[in-house]
Amino acid sequence: MTATATDTAAAPHAEPIQATPSGSLGRSVRRKEDQRLVTGHGRYVSDFQLPRMQHVAFLRSPYGHARITSVNTSRAEQSGRRVFTGADFMHVVLRARSSLPSYVETDQPVLAHEKVRYQGEPVAAVVASDRYLAEDGLELVEVNYEPLPATVCAWVSPREPVHPEAADNVLLERVFETGSVDAAFGDAAVVVERDLVTNRHAGNPMECRAGVALWDPSDRKLTFWSGTQVPYIVRNMIAELLDLPEGNVRVVAPDVGGGFGVKSVLYPEDVALCLMARAMPNVPLKWVEDRAEHLAAATHARDHRYLIKAGFASDGTLLAVQADVTVNVGAYSVYPWTAGIEPLMAGGLLSGPYRLDNYRCAVRGVATNTAPAGPYRGVARPASVFAMETVLDAAARELGMTGVDVRRKNLILPEDIPYKMPSGLVDDSGHYVECLTKALDALGYDDFLAEQERRRGTDEPPIGIGFACYNELTGLGRAASAGPRMPFRTGHDACTVRVNPDGKVTVFSGVTSQGQGLETTMAQIVADGIGVDYDDVEVRIGDTDESLWGFGAFSSRQAVIGGGAAHRAAAAVKEKVLALAAGLLEVDAAALHIENGQIGVVGVPDPALSIAEVARVAYLESHRLPKGIEPGLEATKFYDPIRGVFAAGAQVAAIEVDRTTGEVRILKYVCVEDAGRAMHPQIVDGQIVGAIAQGIGGAMYEHLIYDDAGNLSTGTLLDYLMPTSAEIPEMTIEHVSHPAANPLGVRGVGEGGTLGPNAVLAGAVSDALGIQIDTLPITPSTIWKELQ
Amino acid sequence: MDVTFSVNGERVRVDVEPRHTLADVLREQCGLTGTHLGCEHGVCGACTVLVDGQPARACLMFGVQADGSSVVTVEGLAGDDELHPLQEAFVVHHGLQCGFCTPGMLISAMHLLDTDPEPTREKIREQMSGNICRCTGYIGIVDAIAAAADVMRSGDTGVSDRVSARAQETPSHIEEPKRSPPPGG
Ligand code: FES
Ligand code: FES
Repeated sequence: MTATATDTAAAPHAEPIQATPSGSLGRSVRRKEDQRLVTGHGRYVSDFQLPRMQHVAFLRSPYGHARITSVNTSRAEQSGRRVFTGADFMHVVLRARSSLPSYVETDQPVLAHEKVRYQGEPVAAVVASDRYLAEDGLELVEVNYEPLPATVCAWVSPREPVHPEAADNVLLERVFETGSVDAAFGDAAVVVERDLVTNRHAGNPMECRAGVALWDPSDRKLTFWSGTQVPYIVRNMIAELLDLPEGNVRVVAPDVGGGFGVKSVLYPEDVALCLMARAMPNVPLKWVEDRAEHLAAATHARDHRYLIKAGFASDGTLLAVQADVTVNVGAYSVYPWTAGIEPLMAGGLLSGPYRLDNYRCAVRGVATNTAPAGPYRGVARPASVFAMETVLDAAARELGMTGVDVRRKNLILPEDIPYKMPSGLVDDSGHYVECLTKALDALGYDDFLAEQERRRGTDEPPIGIGFACYNELTGLGRAASAGPRMPFRTGHDACTVRVNPDGKVTVFSGVTSQGQGLETTMAQIVADGIGVDYDDVEVRIGDTDESLWGFGAFSSRQAVIGGGAAHRAAAAVKEKVLALAAGLLEVDAAALHIENGQIGVVGVPDPALSIAEVARVAYLESHRLPKGIEPGLEATKFYDPIRGVFAAGAQVAAIEVDRTTGEVRILKYVCVEDAGRAMHPQIVDGQIVGAIAQGIGGAMYEHLIYDDAGNLSTGTLLDYLMPTSAEIPEMTIEHVSHPAANPLGVRGVGEGGTLGPNAVLAGAVSDALGIQIDTLPITPSTIWKELQ
Repeated sequence: MDVTFSVNGERVRVDVEPRHTLADVLREQCGLTGTHLGCEHGVCGACTVLVDGQPARACLMFGVQADGSSVVTVEGLAGDDELHPLQEAFVVHHGLQCGFCTPGMLISAMHLLDTDPEPTREKIREQMSGNICRCTGYIGIVDAIAAAADVMRSGDTGVSDRVSARAQETPSHIEEPKRSPPPGG
């Protein structure tokens, strides 16, 4: 594979290929994963049972902030259980790196020693023959703590720093500045100012985290089955931390029960499990997180404050935005994304799809004694879009314009493309007005306006209409992924396509799937790329021993990047099939085409040869190989789009509010996105609907709350409310499909849906009641209080 | 403790520790890992199974409480080479993404259609609200259940009849179920 590994050149931005009538792309083919998943035969890490397997339970800090004064494991050890503590792994730390000048690097221990920094931080691990006994063992470990003052809010000064390296708890600070903000405010007819706070919540996939680690001392090989979104990133750092050659570490992500960013982090529990396995040769160690652990210790997100000021001309033109954004990053800077993940995204994309010349935005990531914050679907944008849309609505009100007009006035237009945003990012979409207009039509905007008017002055619940427009940066290539200045660039993925001796195809892709149906999508791309049936393509993903390379699932990148690599590899294999067939048929390869696994000569009705016959020659009948053609039918290709690709989106909704209870009912919810070319329309819509549902959860229900001492008071699903089928409304999803400039014409679609609901619902409630929504979530009690 | 019950029509006899949940007994001792655990505190519904035809949260029930009952898990839905109409409808209508909530969803939906063969969308949404899905936003799930209801009403009920029969049957050596009603259903 070395020869192909150097072939990292970006694919030419070819014209998007068109689906052949017989092809599978563009059709909602049956998902490859579904048969096993609907029959109860999925292979999740939590399902693994291996011979000699032992089970791990973690002892977690009951304090938000405390010094560890002593740890006594003797009773647990006397009971026959193996116990590990921070002292065992003091030499190993996770350290998320970034070369941004203001970034303060801090360490995250594998198991806490010296002190604990958030409630739920792992302090010790107990190994026993089943999970019940492991949990019993936790009670036998005695840890003494000396409580320290905890800081849970990122915008009050700390009483005791979380990390000694940052006395003010600020781990990162950056100012985005362009144009002349002060002068522009001087010219503004209207200046609006808001202090907005968004609610801490989390991805909360239905399968919690899980891992099985096994050290085989004779091969010196570590295998780690992990419900991760990023197996190659995990392998890379586990190998480094355990001082093993990377080839001796195998990370496998089998079926994973949802991720949403939470599982794109390498956690201390992961490292602990691998280190413990190393210390217990030939014993598979299994850890399955329970929900209480997950709520306490898996990454949180969206705990932000925006002090935002925006100036507008009298015709509604946005002249300047000034913002000060504080993000609560929790106790640790998560590996590998750093404490910069949310603040940098907030500052980079706050202005969204609006033209803006004058921008000053200071962002900071502040450590607190709360669970670490990490990437959660939409990273920061659900909050930043809420901030931006709030000031647009406020300005519209002051200027006597409609929310629609003020947006139309400022949205980036197709003729502005490529549009350099004030943060320097380049928007390649421009289809925002089209999305908004289509969304308003689908909503029945005029009818709702009329109904809203009719209800005014009656006893009927008032109606409100809310809007959000957003630009979602997806599929980030090496240039676009440079922002956080991590020591690597996540722009590329690899794919190997192999035609087997029987002519069927196996794809080894570096992508991972936590429900997005990547086995299906990769199969579609390769089937059409070669010209074989979708059913004849089998896809292997998630195993670092099988596929060459992939960064994994984050920033809506895999359809674009992993898909691009699959497309290129399929094209290379097709080329070889054609060259081989041309030699066998003694015709020019240019005169051949492949469809449904059959190779035909242009102008001749019957197929001349099947791929199976060509494959047989390639592997089994080398004596028939045309001159200069090597045996085998396989290709490995990388793809890197270099830049990113923006996906346009608009969401609008009409709601009604019960004035007596403060309850909000969503009457109609519409989303229109430019997902580029939809390779599998059902999966694309499923991503959008699922993302909006999470956004609605965050806007109205989900809230992780700490008390002042750092105790999480929403530690079960009884207190942390996830929306069910009774809360999530029907939705209308429509598309404006403008193919992107990449080989498949696709734009990422995984995250965009989460960006709208905060802004849409807050805007709609404000519109209905004439109140200001500055704090999320929007609950009946907050509305009721506002109304009093 | 020695516990005997039927799972998906097959009689099983297992030595169960009194504190082990039915979910763990099914998953660890019967090898039926289709029953998933999403919260272990009775909220998410991922662990839903049928116990004597009634939905129960297998994380809230002890294995010993299943003694003498008949249990249906997701593994018991499909026929030998055909999916249950609900399973087929979940596939066709994209009622699953990661599939983690799916076993519980299917079992709850089975029970819903058993009790109301022609539910409205609102009824489906209300009745299925004991099962959390983080991926789909529920629309595909509601579509799938509505579609399966149509199929099952139109007569193609071979598989579902078989499943219902399994849910009712009791191991032959036991005369009366000796448990109190399953909690958490
Ligand atoms: S596992 Fe969540 S209800 Fe049983
Ligand atoms: S499909 Fe993933 S939780 Fe429902």
